[in-house]
Amino acid sequence: MYGSVRVTQRSISDRSLAALQANLDRVGKTQQQLSSGKQISKPSDDPTGTVSALQLRSEQQRMAQWQRNADDGIGWLGTIDNTLTSTIDQVQRVRDLTLQGMNTGATSQQSREALATEVSAIRDSLIGLANTRYLDRPVFGGTTTGTAAYDAATGGFVGDQSPVARTVGYDAQVRVDVDGKTTFENAAGKNLFAVLTSIAQHLSSDPAQLSTDLGDLDAVTTTLSTRHAEVGARYNRIQQMQAQHDTRQVDLTNSLAEVESIDLPKTIMTLQMQQVGYQAALGATAKVIQPSLVDFLR
Amino acid sequence: MGSFDGISIALSSLYAQRRALDVAGQNIANANTDGYSRQRVVMDSMGAPATPAMWSTWQGGGSGVAVSSIQRLRDGFLEMRGQTAHATQEELSMNAQATARVEGVFNEPSDNALQSILGEFWSGFDAVANRPNDLAARSQLLQRGQTLTDWMHQASGQLSAQWSSYRDQLTNIAAEVNSTAADVANLNAAVMRGTQANLPVNELADQRDKLVMKLAELVGATTKAGDSGTVDVYLGGASLIRGSTYNQIQVGGPTMMTEVSATNAVSLQWAKDSSAVQQAGGTGNAIVNALADGGVIPGFTKRLDAVAASVASAVNTQHKLGYDLAGNAGTDFFTASNANPVGAANIVLAFSDPAKVAASGVATVPPATGGNLDGGNADLMSKLGVGPTAPDAVYRQLVVDLGVQGQTATRRLDTQTQITQQLDNSRDAQAGVSLDEEMANMLLFQRAYEAAARVMTTVDSALDTLINRTGLVGR
Repeated sequence: MYGSVRVTQRSISDRSLAALQANLDRVGKTQQQLSSGKQISKPSDDPTGTVSALQLRSEQQRMAQWQRNADDGIGWLGTIDNTLTSTIDQVQRVRDLTLQGMNTGATSQQSREALATEVSAIRDSLIGLANTRYLDRPVFGGTTTGTAAYDAATGGFVGDQSPVARTVGYDAQVRVDVDGKTTFENAAGKNLFAVLTSIAQHLSSDPAQLSTDLGDLDAVTTTLSTRHAEVGARYNRIQQMQAQHDTRQVDLTNSLAEVESIDLPKTIMTLQMQQVGYQAALGATAKVIQPSLVDFLR
Repeated sequence: MGSFDGISIALSSLYAQRRALDVAGQNIANANTDGYSRQRVVMDSMGAPATPAMWSTWQGGGSGVAVSSIQRLRDGFLEMRGQTAHATQEELSMNAQATARVEGVFNEPSDNALQSILGEFWSGFDAVANRPNDLAARSQLLQRGQTLTDWMHQASGQLSAQWSSYRDQLTNIAAEVNSTAADVANLNAAVMRGTQANLPVNELADQRDKLVMKLAELVGATTKAGDSGTVDVYLGGASLIRGSTYNQIQVGGPTMMTEVSATNAVSLQWAKDSSAVQQAGGTGNAIVNALADGGVIPGFTKRLDAVAASVASAVNTQHKLGYDLAGNAGTDFFTASNANPVGAANIVLAFSDPAKVAASGVATVPPATGGNLDGGNADLMSKLGVGPTAPDAVYRQLVVDLGVQGQTATRRLDTQTQITQQLDNSRDAQAGVSLDEEMANMLLFQRAYEAAARVMTTVDSALDTLINRTGLVGR
C-alpha cells in the first residue's frame, strides 16, 4: 500500500537533523584540531599514538637533561683543561729556573736565592691552581666536602679520590674530573709541591741535589701532560655526545610532531570540504523539508 | 426495506466521514507531537441482520456504515525492539561519558600531566647528581617530588569525586524510575477503565508508552502487553509494573569509593526486600558498572595507586642504598600519610630537609669526615624512569589501556547509534504522521461526505416526488 518503507515528514526531518548534526560534529572536531594544533587531544583518539607521544616526550626530557649534564661536564673539564695548561706552563718555568740554578758557574748564591724565592712563589701559585674551583667545588678534590684539594701550607692532598662523573647518554658516563692526588705527583709517588719545596731549598743551600729534583720534576710533568691529554680526549667525547644529542633532539621533535600534531594543509583542506558538505546538506534539507501535498491541493 | 433507509444510510456515511475527517485533523494536529501514534478510523459496512430469524426475509441491501473503532497504528514488537535499542544506546552513551571523564582526569598527552611531571622529577635527580653540594638543587628535587605527590592527590581526589557524583546520579535515577513507574501504573488504570467503558484511550496509551520508553532508557525495562490495553513492565525478569500496581527500586551498597570491593558494590535493589535487581540496563546499569570494583572509576583509581606504589617503591629502594650529605644511609623518600599501603591518595614526601637526599653512592671517604659530594646514587635514581618495569612504563600502560577502553566505548556507541536511528526510522515509518497521506485521506473523506450528502439529496428529491407529486388526482 505504501511501498516498502513508509516515509513521513517527521522521519525525513529527524534523519536530516541527525545527518546535519553528524556533519557539524565532524566540522567541530576538525576545527578543534586546527585550533589546538594537535590531532590527539585525549588517549582514546589514538591509544598507540598517545603512548608513542608519551615515550617521545619522556625521551626528549631525558635528552635535554643529558645536554644539561654534558654542559656541566664541559664546564668541569674546561676548567681542568685550562688549569692544567697554566700548571704545565708554570712547571716549565720552574724547570728553566732550576736549570739556571744548576749552572753554578754562572749564577751567584745571591741570584740563586732570588731563583729560590721565585720557585716558592710559583709553588704557592700552583697550589692555588690545584685548588681551582668550579661552581664552588675544588675540581681536583674529588667528592670532598671541603673547599680545597691541597693544603696551602703543607702542600698535602686533603681531597678524596672518588671520581666525579656525568651521565651524558644511555649507559654513557664520562668522568669529568681527574684524580687530584695522582695528577700532581710523579710515577714514584712524589708530590709536585714537595718537589718544588725541595727545589727551592736546594737552590739556596745545595745546588748539587738539583739534578735529582729536575728528574722528579720532569716525571711530574709527564704525569701532568698525560692527564692533560686525557682531559682533552674526554672533553671531545662529551662534545661529540652533545652533537649527537642535538641531531637526536631534532629527530625526536619531528617524530613527536608526526604522531601528535596535525598536518596543517591537509586539515585545512578537510575543514573546507566538510564546510562545503555541511552547507550543501543545509541547502538540501531546506529544500526537501518544505514541500508537502498541502502546497499543491486547493 | 423501509422508505427512509436511504436517508439513514446517507446519514451513517455523513457521520462516519466526519469522524474520519476529525481523526485526520487530530493526526495533522499531532504531526510533531513526540510519542504520538497516528490513528486510523476503522469503518465497517452494515448489512442485513447477522442472524436472521426463521422464515424472515430481507429484501434490502446494506444499511450504511459505522465506525467500529479508532486504531492506534503502532507495532508492538517494533516498540519492544525500540525499547531494547534505546536501553542499550543509553547504557553505551553513559559508559562512553564515564570513560571520557576519567580520561579528562589524566589529561594526556600534554606538557603538564603525570608523564611530564615524572620526567621532571627524574631530571631533578640529575641536577642533584651534578651539584650535590648545592642545597638549591636538592630543594628543587623535593619540590618536584611535591608536585608529583600533589598531582597524584589531585587525580585521586577527582576520581573519588566523580565516583560520588555518579552515585548521586544513580540515586536520582532510582527516584525517577519510581515516580515514572507510578505514572505508568496510573495511566494503565485509566487505559483499562477507558477500554472497558469503550472510551477513546489512544492518547493515554501514547503518553504511557512514552513513559515506558523512559523507563527502558533509565534502567532497561522491558514490556509485555497486559489485559485491557495495559502493559506490564519488567525489570530483569521481575515485575516492575503489573496493571495498576508497581514496585519501587532503591540504590544500595557503599557510599564511598574506598568501601568498594569485589563483594561490596553499589547496586539497584527492589525496595520491598532489598534484593538486587538482576540484568538491569540503560543509564542505571552503565553507572552501576562504572562504580563497581572493576569499573572504570575504581579500576583506574587502583591503576593510579599502582603507579604511585611503583614510584614509591622504586625511589625508596634506591634511595636507601645511598648516603645523605652528612654521610648517613638514605631513608625512605616517599611514604604514606596514613596506615594504608602507599597509593595515589596518601603518597607524601618522607622528609623535607634537602640535606637528607641520599645523593652519594659511597659512604664517607677518608680522609674527609661526615659525608661527601659524590652524586653516584642520585645519578642511578635519575635512571629509575627507564625500563620495562619502571613507574613510567606502568603509567604508560595505564594510559594506553584507558585510551583503548575509551575508544572501544565510543565505537560501540557509534554503532549502536546507527542501529537505534534505523529502528527509530522504522518506528516512525509505522507510527508517524505523514502529512501527504493525511491530505490524501482528507480528500477521500471529503469527497465521500459530499457524495453521501448527494445521496441524501437524491433520496430526498425522490421522496419529494413520491410525497408531493403523487396522489394529486382530483385536486
